[in-house]
Amino acid sequence: MPRDVDLHAVRPYADHLGDGLVQMSFTLPVPYSLAARKAALELAAKIGFEEPEVVHYEELTAGYTYFVMYGRCVQSVDFASLQGEGFDIEYMSEEEIERFVEKSVGRKIVVVGASTGSDTHSVGIDAMLNLKGYHGHHGLEGYHSFETHNLGSQVPNSVLLSKAIEVNADAILVSQTVTQQNLHVQNLTELVEMVEAEGRRSQLILACGGPRVSNELAKELGYDAGFSKGTYPHHLATFIVRELAARLSGDRVPAAG
Amino acid sequence: MDTLAELSAQTPRLALVGLAKNTGKTVALTALLSELAAAGETVGVTSVGRDGESHDVIDFRIEKPLVTLRAGDLVATTDVLLRASGVPHEVLERTSVRTPLGEVLMARLKGPGTIEIAGPSAAADTRRVADLMLQNGARRVVIDGAIDRRAASSPEVSDGLVMATGAILGEDMQEVVERTAEAVQLARLPALGEAGEDAAAREIAAGLAPGVTALAGEAGEALELPERFVLTAEPAAIAERLRQDGSPRWLLVAGALPQRFLDGLVAQVRRSGAPLTVVLSDPTRLFLADRGVEHYARAGIELRVLRPIELLALTVNPVAPQSHSFDSAALRAQLAREIPDLPIFDVRHPSYAGAAALMPHMRGASA
Repeated sequence: MPRDVDLHAVRPYADHLGDGLVQMSFTLPVPYSLAARKAALELAAKIGFEEPEVVHYEELTAGYTYFVMYGRCVQSVDFASLQGEGFDIEYMSEEEIERFVEKSVGRKIVVVGASTGSDTHSVGIDAMLNLKGYHGHHGLEGYHSFETHNLGSQVPNSVLLSKAIEVNADAILVSQTVTQQNLHVQNLTELVEMVEAEGRRSQLILACGGPRVSNELAKELGYDAGFSKGTYPHHLATFIVRELAARLSGDRVPAAG
Repeated sequence: MDTLAELSAQTPRLALVGLAKNTGKTVALTALLSELAAAGETVGVTSVGRDGESHDVIDFRIEKPLVTLRAGDLVATTDVLLRASGVPHEVLERTSVRTPLGEVLMARLKGPGTIEIAGPSAAADTRRVADLMLQNGARRVVIDGAIDRRAASSPEVSDGLVMATGAILGEDMQEVVERTAEAVQLARLPALGEAGEDAAAREIAAGLAPGVTALAGEAGEALELPERFVLTAEPAAIAERLRQDGSPRWLLVAGALPQRFLDGLVAQVRRSGAPLTVVLSDPTRLFLADRGVEHYARAGIELRVLRPIELLALTVNPVAPQSHSFDSAALRAQLAREIPDLPIFDVRHPSYAGAAALMPHMRGASA
């Protein structure tokens, strides 16, 4: 971190500290034209950007225009007040994970994953589980210490849970695109509730992932962890192996009385 | 019996469950807490989700009510949130329960303050911390739910339920009323009897291992279904199974029962004309998506539970944040016509008897 940053008033940085410069891109459903360019500038100004500037725009398809813009953000955030909330964990590398499992678990870890309900996107789950992975980090399928079952997309929660029971899974991974509509959230909570209803909650690690999923949302949904954009398979794997090792060592809430 | 505090006076572990996000569950919690504070009662609070955060986790525009507690009250929340609250406290127990927001601690507050609450997420862990708080001096424990999660209302976890509903369920008032009435019916699934053939069925159901399902006939002979059959069977396989067994009298489920399976039963029960009673451990084990309990009753399938939920009251939030709102009195009146035998409150409305206990800063917070 640069030394002269005012952590009580942090704003975006481009050319020099505190300049507030932001690059953004978006599409407007209007034909490619000078009027479209004006509309983009006006929109950026309304959002609150000062000195908005269109640096690139082009026709996306007939009737739609794509923009890349710069603007100066005048808002700032008090980062100093947020630092106490660090929930960061240190991630292990693939090799470290393999060694850790060998030592602390002593068998393959079984993970079942799917995009549930009506969600047709399986990109997230594929990136985490499939051998190919993404950005050069292969998925859990490529680890010696993991056995993976990727059920794909649009999987009912009952089918996902059934598979987890069938293969005696240690963890269930669900990916969902959470929107401000309630539907996807209900899909995520239903799985947790079904796991509870089957009496399997203490035996299953539940993780969810998706573009808007945070640890805070994961907690409300009842999951043990939440993963968002920027998560690599070894991040997910680090969480699963540590949590499983902790559970296997009998580290649970003591029974009352 | 005009306030949440009075209605739940005999309920050591009270669950608050919402039918969706933004049904005003946390507002109901803060109202109950101020009533208890006014009465000088020591309370313990835990949440299966997260409570007392300043903004909604999905829609940042929505401000949430803060949770205020008094010196002597007990909380189950994470180490991180307890520290961040700045409220002086004494840690009574480290629970070893890990959540995405840190490890859950059980603590006694040594001064008043507002605090974010995130207790254990799992039902069994929730019950254990609730019992810990009761043993450590809480007169009662409030277990707050999250989003639409119902598991905390299971009689295995709590002794009574306050359900929160609101305008968020639909833009049409009648739709809100119907969906609420269906949820109330589900929560109030009647208990299986204690005598006669009910007693025989009860004995078999109570003896099933978790996740096991069995069919039983009039004579009480039971047949366990294949593992996971209820979770995955297709309608044709379900019909075939019932036919083979000569239209059994009971289906006893010691796990989750998804709507898909019930729908599979309907055709065969209609064809055979022989009534079937489906018995679940408690109402939280039944997962209905777009049907109500009555639909199955009409088809000849009676739903019963071994352990019923004690539903104490319904709270109503007439406002759907960033969307529409209804007249509070009109919504409550229409709900009362549909659900005549249940106290219905809007704790924000001047008509609510507990409103006098509300602290001034809570009045201003939005739903």
